[in-house]
Amino acid sequence: MKEQLLTLKNKALDELQKIKDVTDIESFKVAYLGKKGQLTALMKQIGKSPPDIRPEIGRLANTIKATISKAIEEKRSEIIASGAGKKEEIIDITLPGRKPLRGHVHPVNTVIREVCSIFSHMGFNVITGPDVELDYYNFEALNLPKDHPARDMQDTFYVSSNVVLRTHTSPIQVRVMEKTPPPVSIIAPGSVYRRDSDVSHTPMFHQVEGLLVDNDVTFGDLKGILTAFIHQMFGSGTKIRFRPSFFPFTEPSAEVDIQCVMCKGKGCRICSHTGWLEILGSGMVDPEVFRSVDYDTELYSGFAFGMGIERIAMLKYGIDDIQLFFKNDIMFLTQF
Amino acid sequence: MKISLNWLKEFVDIDMSQEELSHLLTMIGIEVASVMPVACDLDAIIAARILDIKPHPNADCLSLCTIDTGEKQIPVVCGAPNIKKGDIVPLALPGVRLPNGTKIKKGKIRGEVSEGVLLAEDELGLTDDHSGIMILPDASEPGMPITKIISLEDSVLDLELTPNRPDCASVIGIAREIAAATGKTLKRPEPEVNETGPNIEDLTSVTILEREACPRYTAGVVQHIKIGTSPFWMRYRLHLSGIRPVNNIVDVTNYVMLEMGQPLHAFDYDRLEENRIVVKFARQDESFTTLDGQTHNLDQNTLVICDAKQPVALAGIMGGLNSEIYEDTSNILIESAYFDPVIIRRASKRLGISTEASYRFERGADIEGTHIALKRALELISTLAGGSISKGIIDNYPKPYIARPVTLRIDRTNRILGSDLSRETIEGYLKGLNMDVERPDDQNTLVVTPPSFRVDISREADLFEEVARLEGYENIPITIPKIQPATKTDSQEISFGDHIRSVMRGAGFCEVITYSFISPASADMLDIPDSSPLRSFVKILNPLSLDQSVMRTNLIHGLLTVAESNIHRGAAGLKFFELGKVFFHREDNKQPIERMILTAIITGPYQEKTWYCQERMVDFYDIKGALEVFFEGVGIEDFSLAKTDTIPWFDTNISANVSSTGRVVGNIGRLKPDVVKAYNLKNKDFYAFEVDIEALLACIDKNKQFKPFPRFPAVYRDISILVPKGIESAAIVNIIKQHGKDLVESIRIFDLYEGEKIDKAEKAIAFRICYRSKKGTLDGEKINKLHETIIDIIRQETGGKLREG
Repeated sequence: MKEQLLTLKNKALDELQKIKDVTDIESFKVAYLGKKGQLTALMKQIGKSPPDIRPEIGRLANTIKATISKAIEEKRSEIIASGAGKKEEIIDITLPGRKPLRGHVHPVNTVIREVCSIFSHMGFNVITGPDVELDYYNFEALNLPKDHPARDMQDTFYVSSNVVLRTHTSPIQVRVMEKTPPPVSIIAPGSVYRRDSDVSHTPMFHQVEGLLVDNDVTFGDLKGILTAFIHQMFGSGTKIRFRPSFFPFTEPSAEVDIQCVMCKGKGCRICSHTGWLEILGSGMVDPEVFRSVDYDTELYSGFAFGMGIERIAMLKYGIDDIQLFFKNDIMFLTQF
Repeated sequence: MKISLNWLKEFVDIDMSQEELSHLLTMIGIEVASVMPVACDLDAIIAARILDIKPHPNADCLSLCTIDTGEKQIPVVCGAPNIKKGDIVPLALPGVRLPNGTKIKKGKIRGEVSEGVLLAEDELGLTDDHSGIMILPDASEPGMPITKIISLEDSVLDLELTPNRPDCASVIGIAREIAAATGKTLKRPEPEVNETGPNIEDLTSVTILEREACPRYTAGVVQHIKIGTSPFWMRYRLHLSGIRPVNNIVDVTNYVMLEMGQPLHAFDYDRLEENRIVVKFARQDESFTTLDGQTHNLDQNTLVICDAKQPVALAGIMGGLNSEIYEDTSNILIESAYFDPVIIRRASKRLGISTEASYRFERGADIEGTHIALKRALELISTLAGGSISKGIIDNYPKPYIARPVTLRIDRTNRILGSDLSRETIEGYLKGLNMDVERPDDQNTLVVTPPSFRVDISREADLFEEVARLEGYENIPITIPKIQPATKTDSQEISFGDHIRSVMRGAGFCEVITYSFISPASADMLDIPDSSPLRSFVKILNPLSLDQSVMRTNLIHGLLTVAESNIHRGAAGLKFFELGKVFFHREDNKQPIERMILTAIITGPYQEKTWYCQERMVDFYDIKGALEVFFEGVGIEDFSLAKTDTIPWFDTNISANVSSTGRVVGNIGRLKPDVVKAYNLKNKDFYAFEVDIEALLACIDKNKQFKPFPRFPAVYRDISILVPKGIESAAIVNIIKQHGKDLVESIRIFDLYEGEKIDKAEKAIAFRICYRSKKGTLDGEKINKLHETIIDIIRQETGGKLREG
């Protein structure tokens, strides 16, 4: 009996050593320790052995059972730890995962954030202003008196004779300069409104305005800062050109074009076959604007610039319809 | 503005390609939108002589022509009334494709063979004229391509002019810029007028009653002219510039305006009462019919050109029907005047008439150029319409223009531009722009007198731009300024706004941007009571449509509109938010109050059915959970809900104000079925929350501090309690907190049961309380006691009982 038990123990431990899979451990356990297991069967026979050695055999059997149980658990941990135990578990890794819900930020705000952060890193302060603005800030202080033909450039929504929906973010310049002595370096995003609605215009859109005023700020500086911005926004190889233009609040004024992102300057429908895309308006702050905020035009000079966010987003993402930004179709929004 | 390249070449030599010219103009500030070649596809059209014309046997309005193509004679059927035997006309033979795409085929017209087509100007794509077949010069040889006979090939430059440069609104203006940029000479026109008529003083007079509004009025008279069609070359150029040819007189006035930038007007001399001109303001409510047949109601600020009796033209805008040139006109008076830009602009705006003339006058014409333009017109008229020109012209110009010199400092110029240009270089650029430049002894300055047509130059800064333009913006070196580091914090609207967006995105919401203006009908759709401030809309005086006529006071309208369009395109589960401004009217006519708010809405299934989860429709706890996540994300640690019936669009039963640190910061609830229905979204449950950003910011602890981990172990105890359904879980939570003696660290509701196993009027709520002390390890016995006490108090205060099992 005793020998039978010891043989069984050795046989069991040998067998256990060879096991490499957790599921095999289960069947091993059943085979030895289960109700109909080999050890269980042997232990049932202990009662038939002579009474004098019965307690001894019983103790031995219990020790063996404990030893095997312990070995089983050790083996199980070993297999699990080695990672090999699951190799037979078959999962379909192509099933989609349990996804946490994910939302989306509107591309206009993503681009505003990107533009502002580029200028933030250069040392510009992000500032905002009211959407419903006084005629004074939107026009007059910006050298756009009533009856000035340049007011035609921006068809205006009126709330009263002297209150308008701002047609650009430029009034923020004036508000900041009124309150702050130079040096000033600000970047100001916001929604703007123009009484214009067709295939390529929406009555509301977004702009970002920038202003730098200090001693001896030059037109060369304007070129430097805007070139740095464009290279960060559109890639360092992007070709840029500055060309004369007109804005009542800057003199000299410059329109900034980048080489067409679609055709790389060869000429295509997007750039009206010119190879260039207009992306921002800029210029040296007009002395009249400084005068309206009591800045000494002999001591200070500065530059200002403004850009349309939807236009930049359209170029960046290849969106060909500005209306899409305001239709808010989830098929559009979830792409960003 | 569209101008012909050939016309431009009459005034300046252009020895560069069209691409180079476009680039040159664009880089000096005249943006070339496009260059369109014209008449470049007419090589297959040949001249042909009409040898014979016979009536078509089967059609009264057609004729049968025999045509000499230079090689052979062919029959052609033609419907035009203007041709006669011997005419040389353009012919397209079978196989030729016309500019409009039509391919010519040999065929039979009403039974007669036609082996080609005789062409009118519009069929050749040259003008809009379809009054008859184009007649070519007699000397043309049959068989020659028509492009060899008349100069047709040209290009049209489409230029985008900035409003400060009215001097560029003419062919000569552009030629002048090209000359300045290339160093070529401008070939100024020198009109020659053969004055054969009576003295002008014997024919007419000009009285100016408003000297400020009309500082100069020049006029000439031509008698015995013959009205007719202008020659092809003139009609062609007008057509290329987008101006419709009318008759030789009107065409000349338009042609000179395009060429020299000075708007002109021709009156029928005989229809002017007393044959004279008076310039004055209109009478209030005076009625006047312009030559387009429109009748306008004038006011005292409208400058009018009158005869001895009544207005005959709106000064600088449009002539009147009563003095218009017509077929029998034989004597004409030509006006070439200068009007005050503001007067013209106001009248043009008020009357809603914008013309080529008003465009130029309101930006500023050349006061010194009226007489030259008049002479040019007189010269062309006598060539085109004959007649005799009066001796002399009227030039009513009492206060001649005085040029104002501008002092330009060389060092200042270089300091603004960041350039290093010499005095000589700058002087050269300015002289090239027809400026008069003096050199004072002081080496640093130039005294510059701009020409009269440069109405945009009156200050030193204006000259900086001229110097930069001529130097070329691309030649000004790039520099990087030193920028003082930002010392102020960025606008909360932006920095906090970005944070809010990222939290809401993390919570699974999709951001929308809707227009700030909405329909006033939204107030009814959202069930907003008459007295509510949500109805104090800021109204737009000139909206594009009623739907966009008031500034929004809420974001819920925009979000429901977006939900509606998405649902009708087939979307189901929606989670949208918008972060934007709302506007409230203020009585004092000042700017409105603007507030930034966040609104989120959800509807439909929380998530579509997947292999791992069932579809479940959203309910109140989804929007509340989103609000909780949002608050956690922005750093609001404590907030509470209190039922309210003050949010117009929410169900009174499921509607609450949200408060934090004692102040209301927003609201949350389910939308009323009627409101949902108003948006065409029947049987859909919508939940929303709204948070005021300024109020929220006031609640956020800006000094967020790290909290050390607890040092002692926690003890957990569960209770499940049966309470009437009306008891809110928060009441029980508050009891636990209140009586927990600082030992209750947290409470988690881990089960809620309503159903068959318990009374219908009851619900079972299960709480797991985490007890922990900051001072030491808790004594299990003491905690059991405290726990029992709490349970007792809950029983007493809520009427609840412990749920067994």
